[in-house]
Amino acid sequence: MPTLSARPAVRVRRSVLLGGLAGLVLAAAAGGCLTLAAAGGIPAIHAALIVWMATSYSAAGLIAWRRRPANRFGPLMLLTGVATFATALWWADVVALRTVGQLCDLLPTVLILHLFLAFPTGRLTSRLERLLVGLGYVAAVGVQPVAIMLGSLGPDHPLLLIDAPEVGLALFDGELIVISVVSLAGVAQLVARRRAAGRPLRRSLGLLIDSFGLGLAMIAVMLVVGVFGGPSFPVVQRVSITVIGFAPIAFLAGLLGARLARTAVGDLVVELRAEPDDLRAPLARALGDPSLAVLYWLPQFASWTDQDGKPRELPTDPARATTLIERDGAPVAALIHDAALNDERELLDAVSAAAAIALETGRLQAELRAHVDELRGSRARVIAAGQQERQRLERNLHDGAQQRLIALSLDLAMLEASLDGDPAARTRLSQARDEIATSLAELRDVARGLHPAVLSAHGLDVALESLAARASVPVRLTVRLDGRLAEAVEVAAYYVVSESLANIGKHARATAATVSVAQADGQIVVEVRDNGRGGADTEGGSGLRGLADRVEALDGRLRVWTSSGSGTRVKAELPCR
Amino acid sequence: MQVAIAEDSVLLREGLARLLGDAGFDVLGRCGDAEELRTLLRGRLPDVVIVDIRLPPTHSDEGLRAAVEIRAAHPEVGVLVLSQYVELGLAMKLLAESAEGVGYLLKDRISDVPDFLAAVRRVAAGGSAVDPIIVSTLLSRRRSDDPLERLTPREREVLELMAAGNSNQGIADRLVITLRAVEKYVSSIFGKLGLPATGSESRRVLAVLMFLRT
Repeated sequence: MPTLSARPAVRVRRSVLLGGLAGLVLAAAAGGCLTLAAAGGIPAIHAALIVWMATSYSAAGLIAWRRRPANRFGPLMLLTGVATFATALWWADVVALRTVGQLCDLLPTVLILHLFLAFPTGRLTSRLERLLVGLGYVAAVGVQPVAIMLGSLGPDHPLLLIDAPEVGLALFDGELIVISVVSLAGVAQLVARRRAAGRPLRRSLGLLIDSFGLGLAMIAVMLVVGVFGGPSFPVVQRVSITVIGFAPIAFLAGLLGARLARTAVGDLVVELRAEPDDLRAPLARALGDPSLAVLYWLPQFASWTDQDGKPRELPTDPARATTLIERDGAPVAALIHDAALNDERELLDAVSAAAAIALETGRLQAELRAHVDELRGSRARVIAAGQQERQRLERNLHDGAQQRLIALSLDLAMLEASLDGDPAARTRLSQARDEIATSLAELRDVARGLHPAVLSAHGLDVALESLAARASVPVRLTVRLDGRLAEAVEVAAYYVVSESLANIGKHARATAATVSVAQADGQIVVEVRDNGRGGADTEGGSGLRGLADRVEALDGRLRVWTSSGSGTRVKAELPCR
Repeated sequence: MQVAIAEDSVLLREGLARLLGDAGFDVLGRCGDAEELRTLLRGRLPDVVIVDIRLPPTHSDEGLRAAVEIRAAHPEVGVLVLSQYVELGLAMKLLAESAEGVGYLLKDRISDVPDFLAAVRRVAAGGSAVDPIIVSTLLSRRRSDDPLERLTPREREVLELMAAGNSNQGIADRLVITLRAVEKYVSSIFGKLGLPATGSESRRVLAVLMFLRT
């Protein structure tokens, strides 16, 4: 234990030391600037604002660099702060220092553009962004010395080569305009990026990008006012610097938010203890990423699925990142989140660890659901194949045996008519025809049992009308349908009615029944009731079980209510898309 | 009397044609599907068309649709629909507009030659023919407070023949009783069932079926 606790203590002591050192350096720089300003007669408020901006960028840059050493955003931010400090050298008495300050005058504005566009990685991603930032640097760093050499800062400047102040000043105005234009283009770029995200932004991220946009707009306004001069310039400048100085604060708030988010891991553990059905919502809360998606790896299906066991692909969108949760080296789940979360590795690791067992359970549930889906699919296919086969047999009977028997019977009838005398032969022929008639009636029953041809040819309403007519009790039939349905749905509905009416005839001792078929809200509801003695066998009877199979294979539901004395009610709900 | 036949089974089609030819009918045309039948009717109109309910190409309701179409376009042409299954729902559909000049029989009935020929003649003349199996199915079920129980056995027989589309004379011949006796039975049946008396023998077919269905 002692060794374990000693190491963080050393780290804490070192970071306190480093932090203190950085603070000292910053304080010294700030103090130096203020001293220069006081000596140079610079308005205290102006000096204070410059120091505020320089300090906020430097400090935020240092913190970001320390927390994410691999990310270039922190150093870039620090550089912006340092460049801002450098502009204060303008106030110095020493010519060399003052010249450095003058050369750096516009550099911070371009660095800020660079910084904002490079968020969050510290790298510019598009060619347009590189072009904008490059143009800015050319104006701020490349053109500024030329303008000074041409006399933009007066004839006494040590860098003066040719005294052409009009040209020099025009060049300087040109710099201001170029930088304000690229800044405005930067605002447009940020707006476009926010739009393109197209999904809820992580908390504080939206605020941050908005503060960046506002900062760039303020730079543009400040520089344009600078070109056209006017008494309002100092006010605009001060407001602008104040606003621009807030961007690092918003950025730090985001970093701190990430730190605070780690306490959310504690809440997550509590939430997971309640074994929620949906893991996504608590995980999204803990990670502060409403766009979070959870996928599970099902090795048996060699596929990623969502929590319902439906196959899904891992995203290829670069703005989305995937964090794999593994167990014994095999993937269990994947968190699909905003790529910006990759910067918060520790949070991701903490959340992954806290949710590992819950995710394993979630995976088993997804697997179960995938199996259920598969079984349901194969049951539907088995039933559909059986139905097709029965339909084929019915058709063969109709076109074959039945047709031939009718023709044979007709032949016999004509033969009988042509035999004049011989009553014995005529009687035998007549008997033969009676036999054929009986066979035909039997075949007709067989064919109808195989597949109700009237259903596929003429629809559910006509087929049910015939069922009702053949029922052993009077049936009140109401059918409300908008046209034909999918064949499997029609067949299932038909068998629900046919089986129920047959049961009524066999067991119910009923004197009347009602059959209703209605279509509403994307489903067909078939209901058969009788006024018999009730007590239908809902478990043992293969008839009702077979019906339930048919109905459930179509994602429908079959329910039976039965109580002695108040009849039986069979209700099937069948989705029809 | 002129007749056209639409039946996709060659065996049956030729058998029917021979049967009708022997019985003195003039077989105007015979064909295997509904499209051919339509073409045929664009020429001369027969007195009656005999059509199989299940015809190519899909073997579903082509025959029935052709029958309904012919009834609408040529009310003077009788239509006798033949089928291997007889369904009340289809009978109601066929008879819905009017039972005049409409017949619907099981194919099995063809071999009861005299009855079948009588049915063809009746439909050709604007009468009707409904397969007896429909009426007997409807009559066979149990009912509470059944008005049919008030009918005498003889009246039940008359009711069945009436619902099958037979005329009073036809019923008289069948039961070997006088026309006068049939008329008495008919009015007694209508009285007992509470049906309004109707003049036309075709219209009473539908009335009786509607009554039995409920």
